[in-house]
Amino acid sequence: MDRRDFLKITAASGASATLASCGNPEHSMVRFIPEEELSGGVAVWKPSICPLCPAGCGMLVRVMDGEAEVIRNGKKGTIQMGLAKKLEGNPNHPISQGKLCVRGQAAIQVTYHPDRIIHPLKRSGARGTGPFQEITWDEAMSMLVSQLNGLAASGNQKAAVFLTKPMRDQRQTLISEFSSRFGASVPVTFDPLGDHVLRRANARSFGYDQLPTFDIGRSRYVLSFGADFLGTWNSPVTQSIGYGDMRQGKLQDQPAKRGKFVQFEARMSQTGANADEWIPVNPGTEGVLALGLAHVIMKAGLRKPEAVGAAGSQIAGWPGLADYAPEEVEKRTGVKAERVKRIAKEFANNGPAIAIIGGSPLAHTNGMFGALAVNALNALIGNAGAGNGESPMGFMRQPKPNADQNRHFESFIADAAQNNERVKVLLLHEANPVYGSPPAWRVRETLSKIPFIASFGSFIDETSILADLILPDHSFLESWVDHIAESGDSGPVIGLAPPAMHALHQTRAMPDVLLDASRKLAKPLGPPMPWKSYEEMLKASVEAVDPSKDAWKSAQQLGGVMPPANVSLPAPQTTRGGSPLSYSEPQFDGDAGQFPFHFLPFQSQAFLDGSLAHLPWLQELPDVLTTAMWSSWVELNPQTAARLGIAAGDTIEVSSNHGNLQSPAVISPGIAPNIIAMPMGQGHETFTRFASGRGANPISILAPMTEPETGSLAWAATRVRVAKVQSPSKSKLILFAGSLREHPEDIGR
Amino acid sequence: MPHHWGMAVDLDRCTGCEACVVACHAENNIATVGDSEAARGRAMHWIRVERYWEGEFPEVKVKFRPVFCQQCDNAPCEPVCPTYASAHSEEGLNAQIYNRCIGTRYCANACTYNVRFFNFYPPAWEKPLHLQLNPDVSVREGGVMEKCTFCVQRINAAEVAAGMQKRTLMDGEIQPACVQSCTANALVFGDLNDPESAVSKLAESPRGTKLLEELGTKPKVTYLLKESWHESRGA
Repeated sequence: MDRRDFLKITAASGASATLASCGNPEHSMVRFIPEEELSGGVAVWKPSICPLCPAGCGMLVRVMDGEAEVIRNGKKGTIQMGLAKKLEGNPNHPISQGKLCVRGQAAIQVTYHPDRIIHPLKRSGARGTGPFQEITWDEAMSMLVSQLNGLAASGNQKAAVFLTKPMRDQRQTLISEFSSRFGASVPVTFDPLGDHVLRRANARSFGYDQLPTFDIGRSRYVLSFGADFLGTWNSPVTQSIGYGDMRQGKLQDQPAKRGKFVQFEARMSQTGANADEWIPVNPGTEGVLALGLAHVIMKAGLRKPEAVGAAGSQIAGWPGLADYAPEEVEKRTGVKAERVKRIAKEFANNGPAIAIIGGSPLAHTNGMFGALAVNALNALIGNAGAGNGESPMGFMRQPKPNADQNRHFESFIADAAQNNERVKVLLLHEANPVYGSPPAWRVRETLSKIPFIASFGSFIDETSILADLILPDHSFLESWVDHIAESGDSGPVIGLAPPAMHALHQTRAMPDVLLDASRKLAKPLGPPMPWKSYEEMLKASVEAVDPSKDAWKSAQQLGGVMPPANVSLPAPQTTRGGSPLSYSEPQFDGDAGQFPFHFLPFQSQAFLDGSLAHLPWLQELPDVLTTAMWSSWVELNPQTAARLGIAAGDTIEVSSNHGNLQSPAVISPGIAPNIIAMPMGQGHETFTRFASGRGANPISILAPMTEPETGSLAWAATRVRVAKVQSPSKSKLILFAGSLREHPEDIGR
Repeated sequence: MPHHWGMAVDLDRCTGCEACVVACHAENNIATVGDSEAARGRAMHWIRVERYWEGEFPEVKVKFRPVFCQQCDNAPCEPVCPTYASAHSEEGLNAQIYNRCIGTRYCANACTYNVRFFNFYPPAWEKPLHLQLNPDVSVREGGVMEKCTFCVQRINAAEVAAGMQKRTLMDGEIQPACVQSCTANALVFGDLNDPESAVSKLAESPRGTKLLEELGTKPKVTYLLKESWHESRGA
């Protein structure tokens, strides 16, 4: 041990610390010199960005000193370090405006999760069975580089491919740049619940291939077709702030006229629960309803159809919409003609008004028609899309995200399944398609045939358990983070922040690992990557949009480049058009006689698509409509339950053409009699101690139906049957509601 | 005049998003109890969002109501405590003094609002989850009762800071964790002894009600009722 090392390691109690024979473990604990200056007990607030959903809320992290057990230079010991203690919204950030949602509040548990992967791992057993062996970063890097070198030597670079979750940051650019310079295939994005249909529809109707921003706070009438915009969809924090203002005005202001909110959906969501009128609609007929409203508005002369432009020309029969008279609409949608007429007139007469579509209406085979119909209704009411002037709906200016050029997983997996020689090296970054895909895609089987899989993820899940090599990333609080918002403000909003704390474990930031690997390749990249580190790349990206002298410094302090910064950005792309669509009946997998119910999976308030099921605070969060914790459940209408002899809490089996699952029943008045609904998120086979082996996964029984224009998964197009299970397996419904106190008769149950 | 802390909850704004619930966990070091303990009714949520169904399908409506300690001025939990662990502070808070608590659970029995939670076991913070603990808030032991404190650590910190700067506290300067994260601005906190504070004004709202006020508990939380929409109103 040299002098330098000796100084780094100061014993907690003198020389006894180095004696292995010492009985008291505290005395063998090595204490390291802190790597940063800290004042005891004084909180420092540092910006960051929430990584849990695509909205990209700016955060402030409360950092205080604390003592952590860490490994430094191969030695185990304790260190005094700055530790994240609490996450709040960043008041400077236009998307979060000082607020965070329930998931953002729990995000800190990602960093401190007891089952995080804390050092590089190499597979040491049969693939997919689990055993991994700890290796050094040197070994890990040489494994990765030798795989890439092997492809380059045989001129088969195309056999390498990145598979990622949808990303809206410079990591996406880095992966694309690396892939193209190396000669790898185009990166693949796994986003089966994403909003591809709506983006494509917006490109057709308005010329913007992106999600809209809704100024709900300024709206006086909000019509939502299935969108869970206060819970899980688009930019829920911004939209919830707007909702509060829509109801009762800005906090300090005199309330304006209270806005009205109408929700059309077949199963009441958290958002729908807040509606003044909640109106069930037959699944897949939302577009008919939107055009029925447009029909009434035009017929009554409340708006002129000529002003609608391209949004109208996407709809066959515009402007007359003769096929969408209220009586006709009632037959298809189940919404009474009188109600259609009344709501149409209220909508037209109580502006500013907006119509929103999201969630299951877009996940039918005719989802494109629904989206185009709602776009036409918006255009008719005066929301032509640019967001300038008085319209409460618009599209944010932003640098074009590279994710647009990525390949969708749906087409990738179909090709890979047919020709399994193509992919030799899969580089996996935070996507879990084995859990999140319908069984017919055969994802596990197909990925298992790939000779080499490296994962950058922080947890072992159903997909990363297939990896041969795991190069664990820092958590977001330990990393440089950035985010280009797609919606939520008039824009542009580019979030950015330095690490809020030092790395706790032996992890490395994925972008820097990739840059390091690119420098170690036997055959240099041509041309080499232009950045030495991710930090340098972020600096260049900030200077590209904001040339002012202090831009980089101020972005780090504020948590991003935000209006009114001196930012010049290109206008969004303006592809328009497509041939006019007319209504076609939604197609469902499963014969209606054999499978009498529509199956409606929905993103859960706690776990979204299931990627957050590992966080204990979210597992113990009572779902707001059912109060269920730590559980899966299936929702059904009281009449349906009575007819099938199902009582609340009974275990029922839900079967489709593609599989079956068991889960406890929740009997809910907020669901149509022909619908069976189930939250996503549980049913993980392998995803930390908190989520593994708990509940059931509704995606595991979905049919591989698609929306034809985008090829996206139509996840609301599966039919099922249900039956009570006489001998339930294990699943139990745990509710927070009811007795909060234990009663003697419950003990020993 | 000492401060008299109170809260207003605008039920017309509340969306049931539950950001308040986890914000409270994170601020106040509230551990999870796990599935089997949760199944026995032992989950701890100092704030919960109650959900009430009205009507039947298809004419069905929901009302949400966030419920937490109402910081009663005539609190049923206080006189029943044999060790004075449940006690009234000068600023009107129902303090829970963990070091005095011997776990009789009389206070939870007496509480009208079911907002007191008992640690049946020492809380589990599986390493390194313990690193997220807020050093400003005591971690409770097994056998101790706990409940909403209106984030008294934030109140104390703000009072100390204002005192050092020789100034009075501004309205809105103190935000309990639930208020700070409330996405729809449904929760408002402040001094009920300051007639100009936002919370005092909301307490006077014609929509204002108090929970189970008829029992004489003198709760300090005002619930502003959900409104219904009328086309003619206000425009």
